[in-house]
Amino acid sequence: MNKAITTKPRASAAPAREDDSKLQWIDLLRRGFPLIFLVTLIVVFTIMSPRFLSLSNLSSVLDEGTVLLVTALGMTFIIMAGSIDISVGAIVAVSALVAALTVNTLGVLAIIPAVAVGAVCGCVNGLLLAVGKVPSFIATLGTMVVYRGLVLYFTRGAPVSIDDDAFLNTYSGISFGIPNSVMIGLALAAIAWAVINFTVFGREVRAIGGGERVSILTGISVTRVKILMYVLLGGLCGVAGLLQGARTMAATSQLGLGLELDAIAAVVVGGTPLTGGLGSIVGTLLGVLIITLLSSGMNMAGVDPYLQNIIKGVVLIAAVFINIDRKKIGIIK
Amino acid sequence: MTLVATGLNKQFGPTRAASNVSITLRTGTVHAIVGENGAGKSTTLRMLGGVLRPDSGEMTLDGAPYAPNSALDATHKGVALVHQEITINRSLSIAENIFIGDLRLHAWPLLGVLKRKKMAALAQAALDRIGVKISVAANIERLNLGELKCIEIARAISSNPKTLLLDESTAYLDHREVDAVLHVMHQLKSQGITIGFVSHHLSEVLAAADDLTILKDGQFVASSSVANIEANEIHRLMVGRDVLQGTYPTRSPLPSSAAAPALRADKVAVGRELNEISLEVRRGEILGLAGLKGAGAEALFAGIVGDEPLRHGRLQLEGKDYHPSSPRAAWQHGIAHLPGDRGNEGLIVSFSVLDNLVMARPPTVGPFFSMARARAMSNDLIKLIGIRTSSVVADCRSLSGGNMQKVVLGKCLAVGPELLLLNNPTRGVDVGAREEIYRIMRQKATEGLAILLSSEDMPELIGMSDRLMVLRQGVMVREFDSLDNVEEHDIVQYMT
Repeated sequence: MNKAITTKPRASAAPAREDDSKLQWIDLLRRGFPLIFLVTLIVVFTIMSPRFLSLSNLSSVLDEGTVLLVTALGMTFIIMAGSIDISVGAIVAVSALVAALTVNTLGVLAIIPAVAVGAVCGCVNGLLLAVGKVPSFIATLGTMVVYRGLVLYFTRGAPVSIDDDAFLNTYSGISFGIPNSVMIGLALAAIAWAVINFTVFGREVRAIGGGERVSILTGISVTRVKILMYVLLGGLCGVAGLLQGARTMAATSQLGLGLELDAIAAVVVGGTPLTGGLGSIVGTLLGVLIITLLSSGMNMAGVDPYLQNIIKGVVLIAAVFINIDRKKIGIIK
Repeated sequence: MTLVATGLNKQFGPTRAASNVSITLRTGTVHAIVGENGAGKSTTLRMLGGVLRPDSGEMTLDGAPYAPNSALDATHKGVALVHQEITINRSLSIAENIFIGDLRLHAWPLLGVLKRKKMAALAQAALDRIGVKISVAANIERLNLGELKCIEIARAISSNPKTLLLDESTAYLDHREVDAVLHVMHQLKSQGITIGFVSHHLSEVLAAADDLTILKDGQFVASSSVANIEANEIHRLMVGRDVLQGTYPTRSPLPSSAAAPALRADKVAVGRELNEISLEVRRGEILGLAGLKGAGAEALFAGIVGDEPLRHGRLQLEGKDYHPSSPRAAWQHGIAHLPGDRGNEGLIVSFSVLDNLVMARPPTVGPFFSMARARAMSNDLIKLIGIRTSSVVADCRSLSGGNMQKVVLGKCLAVGPELLLLNNPTRGVDVGAREEIYRIMRQKATEGLAILLSSEDMPELIGMSDRLMVLRQGVMVREFDSLDNVEEHDIVQYMT
């Protein structure tokens, strides 16, 4: 963000406060917090296990984190608008299944039905919220069960394997020493970043989170924007399902289980408040890295597996506790 | 009992909400406190009721010093206050609502289970005492606002006060509901209870009160027995027209054109509030709409911008049929709307000045939002309207109320509208910013913008409107084609 052009105020705008500089400092610290936190994590884990910073390890960590990243990108839009989606893990499972079922005929192009089905699942969520006026938490709680139920119904609980070489090479191969999935994830992150910052749609999503009634009265088509953002998230979940299926070489009914919580956590740790109106893709990127590194770092550092969940939970709460700007988001619900 | 207050002062920050107010509530009489918005009526009543502590001044009850330090303390001393807002909780029963302040007294010790039968009987007694025909067994969801108000009065009466204070008790009520509340006041007066009440409505004051006190801008103006004062005189004392002379820009002569009006409404009805209105606004004209809250102006605006469907009637823009389907469609048709509730409907205060200014029509280059053009647009608007902000990207919450409102006005003007709907554009705006808003309104009108102005501020309506319509209970009751020699009470008499 470049510095603002200051206009000459006709009278002094606000009385200069002594603690202004101090407040700015705290503000800067808060905004930089996800980055500081990430660096601290890396330092701690490197000390505990020197192998942590090796290229091969980092590359496998990033590969693992890509599914989460792609999902969290879409989740950033939803949370920025003040809504939520907890059906993402189930959409990932549905999309992976669709990819597995079509890969033998379509090969690499199985991405098309996977993304399309993900988008349709998202569209259903969006319609339930924007047209049916069902609160997003309840709507997606319901569709989460339905979507995962669909996968169970069609697979009868049995995994559907993916063994198309072209497909696997494209979506879980490695080019130039970097996993293809990571490149796809970062490309999508760049697009999401541009959409949030440089399109009218991104501004409208943010405006809805900042004040829905104001947005409606100002002529923003809130219904359309809400449906669109859920379609966007659904499509991204389609990509995530595809990548996850390629990684595990199969679609199972357990795919993406619990992903919704990690995605929400990544977005919030990255500095996007659940109350909406604010949001940043860079923050989400850092949040995803924090969550992913935390899991794999504890494994490498030999932390008792039975202790890991406890630490993870505490760290998440601590991160949000420090990170959250209570002045800006007002009421905490 | 007689409640006497002398020389009460109360200051909120730089604002003198009440200065040197003296008032005497005589035993067994009804005393009305009247004045315009911001005259200090509620402040005075709240000081009497112990909710606010006066900065200076004295109060006595039957000659003994009276200095309540809380509303509860005042209640113990025999003075009960009914607040302006309805505070009934509709998920509780009527009896629970009446005894909400001390439910513990009506429960079995330790267990905390309510003694429902006994409580219901006591509640019914309180309702009977104020003379309303409401059964405690009634479904609270079915009661109207007037009946809810009566339950609040029963709640206040259940502490057996000698003095009852009612704050704007009739502000949101319709005529039948008002009559019910007046009946209750009459009933209590006959039981020897002293009543002090605050009101906007002159007719009800004249009907119910024995004495009245007039306040203006926080200052005590006059106190009199109702029998000794004329309605016109009260109006004049409440208003004092000369104060705001020079605030309003001079009207420019209307272009006499045969062109179709910017907006034509034909027998339009919206929601519960607007029953039927027909009007025309021409380009370059400011049409004022006067009326109490709920008289229909707000509903008309909601109908024009498509926020609420028209029940019937027809709208035309520049002679072409216009069917408002959504606020989005309205903005696309060149209708800009400044809502009455700035915090919830007009402005996102956590967003920057720029974000708000360009919200209605963000500038784009190809598929992308253009920050450079948004910045240029914002700077132009800031200069045009005189918004005082440290930068275009400053949060709106750092601005004063007046500057926030200028941002909302800027958002409206940013789209280059053909028709501008203004709902109380200077509510909570200081005098300096007001003048700038008035200046820009007149300037835009002269440039050919059609403006519909709805306001609770009478001097503003008189000073700014080219023509004025008075609405009462959803219909137009009077139209003024020129406001050159119109006084405030000429208008107010049609409003109530």
